[in-house]
Amino acid sequence: MLNIENIGKNFGGVKAVDDLTFRVDKGEIVGLIGPNGSGKSTTINLICGVFPVDLGSISVDDRNISKLPTHERVASGISRTFQNIRLFKELSVWQNVWVALQKDSYQSLGWMQEWFGNSKIQKERIKEILVFSGLGDRFDDLAGNLSFGEQRRLELARAIASKPKLVLLDEPAAGMNSDEVADLRQRILDLRELGLTVLLVEHVMELVMNVVDRIVVLNFGKKIAEGNPQDIQKNIEVQKAYLGGA
Amino acid sequence: MGIGFIDILQSLIDGILFGSIYALIGLGFTLIFGAMEKLNMAYAASSIGGAYVGLGIATLFSLPLVLIFFIGPIAAGLLSILVYLVSFRLIPASNHLGSLMASIGALFFIDEVIIHETQGSPLTFPELGIFSEAYFMLGDLGFRGDLIFIMIFGLVSMGVIIYLLYYTRLGLATRAVSQQNIAARLCGIPIHATNISTFVLAGILGGFAGCLAAASVGVISPLLTIPITIKGLVAAVIGGLGSIRGAIIAGLLIGGVENFFLLVRGVNERDIYVFLLLFVFLVLRPNGLFGNEISRD
Amino acid sequence: MEFYLGILQTIGFHTLLGLSAYLLLLTGQLSMAQVGFFAIGAYASGILTVIYGLHIFLALGVGAVTASFFAFLVGFPALRIKGLMLVIATIAFSEIVRLYFFNLRWRIEKGGVEVGPDGAQGFREIRYFAANGWEPYQIVSFIWIVVILVIAALWWLDRVKVGSVLRAVGEDELAAQSSGVNLTIVKVSAMTGGGFIAGIAGGLYAHSTTYVDHNSFTILLATFAVAYPILGGLKNVFGTLFAVVFIQGILIEGLRFLGDYRNLLFGLLIIIVMNFYPKGLINIPIFNFSRRTKKGDT
Repeated sequence: MLNIENIGKNFGGVKAVDDLTFRVDKGEIVGLIGPNGSGKSTTINLICGVFPVDLGSISVDDRNISKLPTHERVASGISRTFQNIRLFKELSVWQNVWVALQKDSYQSLGWMQEWFGNSKIQKERIKEILVFSGLGDRFDDLAGNLSFGEQRRLELARAIASKPKLVLLDEPAAGMNSDEVADLRQRILDLRELGLTVLLVEHVMELVMNVVDRIVVLNFGKKIAEGNPQDIQKNIEVQKAYLGGA
Repeated sequence: MGIGFIDILQSLIDGILFGSIYALIGLGFTLIFGAMEKLNMAYAASSIGGAYVGLGIATLFSLPLVLIFFIGPIAAGLLSILVYLVSFRLIPASNHLGSLMASIGALFFIDEVIIHETQGSPLTFPELGIFSEAYFMLGDLGFRGDLIFIMIFGLVSMGVIIYLLYYTRLGLATRAVSQQNIAARLCGIPIHATNISTFVLAGILGGFAGCLAAASVGVISPLLTIPITIKGLVAAVIGGLGSIRGAIIAGLLIGGVENFFLLVRGVNERDIYVFLLLFVFLVLRPNGLFGNEISRD
Repeated sequence: MEFYLGILQTIGFHTLLGLSAYLLLLTGQLSMAQVGFFAIGAYASGILTVIYGLHIFLALGVGAVTASFFAFLVGFPALRIKGLMLVIATIAFSEIVRLYFFNLRWRIEKGGVEVGPDGAQGFREIRYFAANGWEPYQIVSFIWIVVILVIAALWWLDRVKVGSVLRAVGEDELAAQSSGVNLTIVKVSAMTGGGFIAGIAGGLYAHSTTYVDHNSFTILLATFAVAYPILGGLKNVFGTLFAVVFIQGILIEGLRFLGDYRNLLFGLLIIIVMNFYPKGLINIPIFNFSRRTKKGDT
């Protein structure tokens, strides 16, 4: 599914990501963890094409996407949420989803209709996504007026509107209480039910340990461990990294 | 036409000397951008406004004309504070375009006040006394005394600015605010006071530039505002927004280019080439001569 | 009567100019180039009717297409520069266009008189309307039909996906890209569309005043163009219309007894609105006769 090979990224001489290799298989939920500044967010941004990789390659379903601009990576099946919520606050909830709705999610429509039509099919699809995300009753509200938890859910809704194969979640549990984390956990499992693959960057261990199949641990831009949650919890290297000893 | 090498060299020299005015104005834009990451579009207007106030007060009280060069910059500094208060003080730091628009409003406001007070006609501005008569020859090349005066004056003020920014506490605070706004606040640096001092500093600089520009032309008119604004902005951008040496070098460059095209293409077409120069830079070097990546977000 | 028709004409051009800037502001681009496109539309269509004797509709169309072509070209470098840099670059563009027409001489003999752009003297005798027997009220109606068509088109744009995409790009480029939006296409299209509207406005302006010169296309006019949508607010097209009527109708024509002082008011108004109503006049409660919340309607 997602295949990351030997990627590297320098920011002014600092190696933010250094020779990183890992893969995410279809239908998996993989956690990407590490202390602050270990290169997790940079990795997400490299996968999405916010900036180009200096070295190595990123491919999705054996297609190398490392040279593609961000919007074409979306078209090839990657979508994301942001660590600090980035909704279109002045647009309504359904318009936020509308922007991300890709053509292949309602293929019967032509190019003109996609951009200039206001058709029923699009609305139904948007409604479906919003209901799935638990926002069915906020259809017409301004995104900026939603509560924090609802904004997170809308970001998730927008991320699945582009019909992705792989969803990257960048610290979705940040700032949530434990009830909200439990709800989020269920929503991530729901994504798998839809047949999606998930890469989860997260600090909240309560979530990571209870939802992922596999964990990749970063420190100083390098992968220091990889394995299932139980193994990772026991791993000495990882414990050292989190205690600042590495 | 028969434009010889000497003619070209002569026009470049005159242009570069006069370019110190663009360098001063560009420096003002860049100082304020460096401090706040905002453009003060009213900057050239308050500079010309200061020169007007200087001229007005000196004429009203029959003061020696040399005092214009003291009153003008002080008035420009005060106008600059006013611009800060109405266009920057209340508008949140994140709203760059709000401040931009408000300062454009201030530009037209100052300009219209001048037009109203002078009935729209240009006023005679005293020339630089003995300097305007002086003329030095060096081989076939001539150096106009007033332009040399402008150049020297410009260089001295730039020196003072650089000294203030790099060797005083005020400068340290200004640079701290521009580089790490929040951290600076946590260190107890008063943001607004620092910003105001930057505006005053830039304003005084602009006031000198305004007086010098008017003195070298011999008249002062509100019609000077827009061209000086645009050329100052072009200097700041070509130099790299926020870069002090960039603004100075680019200002001199613009002066030279302007005068060169005045010679070869005439007064009506001259400015086209100056503005095209900006596009050349935007395409080839969008961050300017010495700019960093800030301006590209 | 003539007087009021004149005001209606002015409001018409300024609305079109404001709407062309509005379209770009939706995508977050503050463009001072609109007056350059306006000038290109004015000169191009004027040259077509005067020198080539084209029909007005055709001339306006070609003028607008020419303006939008230049807008398209400006759109690409504009992608690389943002915010304040874009403002400076577009100011420079408008000045280049103004100075180009200041220097443009293209005189031909027609019916025993010389016609065409005459450099600093300006471009006189763009007399298509008079020569073809249009009455003043017909000219005004024609201008307003165009204004209403443009308003309707932009209103409709906000009902379809394009509207949401434009606004999404204006709010957050990275989030829009990450939702699969192609920034290049969206921003360049907006620039091209804005150039088209400004081009039509320029053509109408040249033909109804019969005379343009470089002084018609100053930075002040560019400021007006962006000030209308900003002062009116970007909530919908009527904010811009409202701001034009307020400034041109009330501030400039309505307050004639203030004489010179009216010119001060424009600057003052921008300062006040930016300080206290950064989202525009249409969000001030007393002016809020439009829909209270933005709802996605059908």
